[in-house]
Amino acid sequence: MARREHQRIVTWLPPLSPSFVLLGLFVVGPILWCFYAAFTNTAMSGVAARNPRFVGLENFANIVSGTDVGASLWLTVLFVLGSAVVGQNGLGMLLAVFMQRRGRLLRGVVSSIVVAAWVLPEVVAAFAVYAFLNSQGTLNEVLSALGLGQQNWLYTAPMFAIILANVWRGTAFSMLVYQAALSEVPGDLTEAAEVDGAGPVSRFWHVVLPTIRRTVVTNLMLITLQTIGLFGLIYVLTAGGPDNKTRTLPLLMYEQAFKFGQIGYGTAIALVLLVLGAAFSMVYIRSLRAEV
Amino acid sequence: MRLKAITTGLAVIALALTATACGSSTANANTIKIVYRVYSDFPQMDDFMKSVKKEFEAANPGVTAQLDPITALDDYVTKVQLMQRSPSTAPDVLFEDSFYVNADAAAGYLLPLDDRLKSWPDWNQQFIDATKQAGMAADGKTYAVPMSTDTRGLWFNKTVFTRAGLPTDWQPKTWDDVLAAARRIKETQPDVEPMFMPLGKPQAEAMSMQTFEMLLYGTDTKDLYSTADKKWVAPSKGMEDALGFVSTAVREHLTQTPAQAEDTQWSQTQMTTLMSQNKIGFMMDGGWYARYWSPGGVSPWPEWSKVLGATAFPTQHGQAPGKVTLSGGWTLAIGANTGNPDAAFKFVTTALNRANSATIDVALSWLPARKDVQTDPRLVEKDPTTPFWASLLPITRYRPTMAEYPQVSNAIQVAGDAVLNGDDPHQAARKWAEDVTKAVGADKTKAG
Amino acid sequence: MRPRVVVNLVLAFVALLFLAPLLWLVTASFDANGGLSTRPPTRFTLSNFDAVLTWDVGGRPLVNGLLLSGGAALITVVVAVLAAYPLSRYQLRFRRPFLYSVLFTTGLPITAIMVPVYGLFVRLNLIDSLAGTTVFMAATALPMAIWMSKNFMDGIPVSLEEAAWVDGASPMQALRRIVLPLMLPGLAVVAIFNFISAWGNFFVPFVLLLDPAKQPASVNVFLFFGEHGGVAYGQLAAYSILYTTPVIALYLVVSRALGGGFTMAGAVKA
Repeated sequence: MARREHQRIVTWLPPLSPSFVLLGLFVVGPILWCFYAAFTNTAMSGVAARNPRFVGLENFANIVSGTDVGASLWLTVLFVLGSAVVGQNGLGMLLAVFMQRRGRLLRGVVSSIVVAAWVLPEVVAAFAVYAFLNSQGTLNEVLSALGLGQQNWLYTAPMFAIILANVWRGTAFSMLVYQAALSEVPGDLTEAAEVDGAGPVSRFWHVVLPTIRRTVVTNLMLITLQTIGLFGLIYVLTAGGPDNKTRTLPLLMYEQAFKFGQIGYGTAIALVLLVLGAAFSMVYIRSLRAEV
Repeated sequence: MRLKAITTGLAVIALALTATACGSSTANANTIKIVYRVYSDFPQMDDFMKSVKKEFEAANPGVTAQLDPITALDDYVTKVQLMQRSPSTAPDVLFEDSFYVNADAAAGYLLPLDDRLKSWPDWNQQFIDATKQAGMAADGKTYAVPMSTDTRGLWFNKTVFTRAGLPTDWQPKTWDDVLAAARRIKETQPDVEPMFMPLGKPQAEAMSMQTFEMLLYGTDTKDLYSTADKKWVAPSKGMEDALGFVSTAVREHLTQTPAQAEDTQWSQTQMTTLMSQNKIGFMMDGGWYARYWSPGGVSPWPEWSKVLGATAFPTQHGQAPGKVTLSGGWTLAIGANTGNPDAAFKFVTTALNRANSATIDVALSWLPARKDVQTDPRLVEKDPTTPFWASLLPITRYRPTMAEYPQVSNAIQVAGDAVLNGDDPHQAARKWAEDVTKAVGADKTKAG
Repeated sequence: MRPRVVVNLVLAFVALLFLAPLLWLVTASFDANGGLSTRPPTRFTLSNFDAVLTWDVGGRPLVNGLLLSGGAALITVVVAVLAAYPLSRYQLRFRRPFLYSVLFTTGLPITAIMVPVYGLFVRLNLIDSLAGTTVFMAATALPMAIWMSKNFMDGIPVSLEEAAWVDGASPMQALRRIVLPLMLPGLAVVAIFNFISAWGNFFVPFVLLLDPAKQPASVNVFLFFGEHGGVAYGQLAAYSILYTTPVIALYLVVSRALGGGFTMAGAVKA
């Protein structure tokens, strides 16, 4: 892509400057403040709101010595793996593959329904899922009509329930990405494999998947980052309960920073979240490098 | 061309930033900002503030009362505290839970009102001493004027009690009496859930205050925080017993199911439906429920006052004074950085004069903070149990309002959630004491 | 069974599963005693819609939301395209670190930075300003937008611009005349993506706007929630339908204009 090896600052800076200003002022600046606040006992109210004190590594020491952040970290990883990496990514790809070479009508109807869940505002989506999963919800009515056992999914299987909710809500993104990627896989490649006698599964595995590999990895990175900070959906469905079984890091952060007013500790937890996001991304980026 | 690129980019930002000059409200000594909370089942507050605004502006020409209602539940406090952090956006008058007065005073958000209150005859003659406490911070100064107070106890269903052969003038003397009544209901009416109390993470502070602190304050430990020693009481025999009480009730299926307790969307309407169908024996809660049940409430129930009775919650073994209750309540406070403290105070005294206090207390089924409103016939007319709830005021207690309280309360919720989901109360109590010690520091706790 | 039939059945089944949670919105909105279960209305009514179809409840908040989300999407697209050009066309040493570190910030929930942002807004005198809030929402959407725009731009061959340079056009002229028209479908995707996330954003407008008359629908929806779980479900459902319609309509219009589908092709490449 490169036009010249070394670009002079006057060529690239002007078009990038609006982004630099906006990101610097409204994103990087506040995050830097978080780095500072994480080393203080800043609070929403009380004496510490008037005179915040520098507390060194105390907030981080509390994170390490306590069990809350560790537990939430694990739940967050589980939630990301279950709902984004396996759920949205897998189902999105399945739908995209299955919809290839289907009739225009079927394709349109299925896509629209999946996309509808994605464009719903978060709180509406959360209530729709709640109405589906609660003890008198649609799912239980269907199960009982089929003679199967009912249960209160949000209580008996809360992590499963929020994973299901996020798969429902977010699969459209991956589906759209893969639909686009698959349409760009050269037809002669798959045809050649077909001539060689490869079945559909083998064709997908040996021909299609390697071709769209970069798209898969990038999609994983994007949906991971979108899932890691998810708050509203979980808050409406379980509020982190029961017994904190779904209290992922964003919920823990919100609880500490706003419900208990411990901004310092809350922002320290936010930094853990930032590191987790970076760690996931590193894994993805690495896997791309290894290929080249 | 490059220049053009810069201008295009920066113009977008500049445009947006300068366009705001018209948007921001400049501080004006002749305008006071009043911040309060609204939501669907709380429309009375909005109507009330609008009418006070009219009255205030008529009496104080030249001064404008700007109403800034906030549509939110839990996030109300978050937003108000954010506004208070910056003097230029801090409200002049705010609707404040008495519970936050101490912390907000310590943060320097609120204006001490003692001097002004001294010269307000109503304050000296009409406000009930027990409720005045609610506006006082740890430094002994008063920062807020109470709008209302409340007490907590038991609501019981007389139909269910009659079927169970229990008295309809029920007055349990000990925790065991309460459990015995619940067991009796369970035996005679298996499809009735004998007792409801705030349990489960979604209930948050209600679980701490209305369940565990109500229990704890009726034990020999008596306290969550010892004012004399300035220490939190942990480990606590009383807390272990409170957890034991709940554990017993849950294990014997005398309460709501854990699934109901953990339901984030558990609603007042579901509750009222169960109560009106005689599916709940009794519930441990506050005295303000008439507001939901009366016409125009979220879950109207015309027959409620015939079906339900109210009674005090007993101490553990009947220790004096035999019953226990806790109070909260709402106040109006004045921001420390107000440009016009006189006008702000006038607004508060207008809003909380006899007539206006009566209007809002009746509308929301609150217990009045004023003696001259206590006798207002409209209160009893709307809610015949009002005299009972008011009769508990002499023995009422308040929650500790130290800055660490939210964390101590959270530790209670964690312990409560644990026993609700089957953990051993002894272990939950030990874990609770550990959590509290970690939150407040070992030098600030004592065993009790 | 033939594989073709199996595939169709699977698709139909998944579509049904995706449709099921949406049913509640419809049944509860027409039910006078609407709750949180999906069932035919016990008492059919239009009163829920009647209650929300007023200027204060269903009108102004939607207009505010359109201003906020539309403005944010527009600013994001313009700024992101400008940034994407040098990132895509020039060999810049900081390109990858810049793109990745900016992208990492999207993993942070917005609640994490609202305390400093509030302080910043007070300093800039932007509190209670629709324009300021719009710019902030645009800024937080930039990381994803820059990433997607850059990838879309990578997909457009440089050779086309080179012809324009020969004719003496500057890079910015080439961007406007050659690259942008070709990128239009991609830009539509970026815009919609940002519009949707801004449309559902509760916390940012809730914190940064004080005047209730400026609040968008995402904040106003909480008007239907009450203390102790007193929720007007019927009205909530009716309002949700009203609140969701603009995004669905926008999606349909744009995807129709793009020839019956979203062109995510270029958006996601490393």
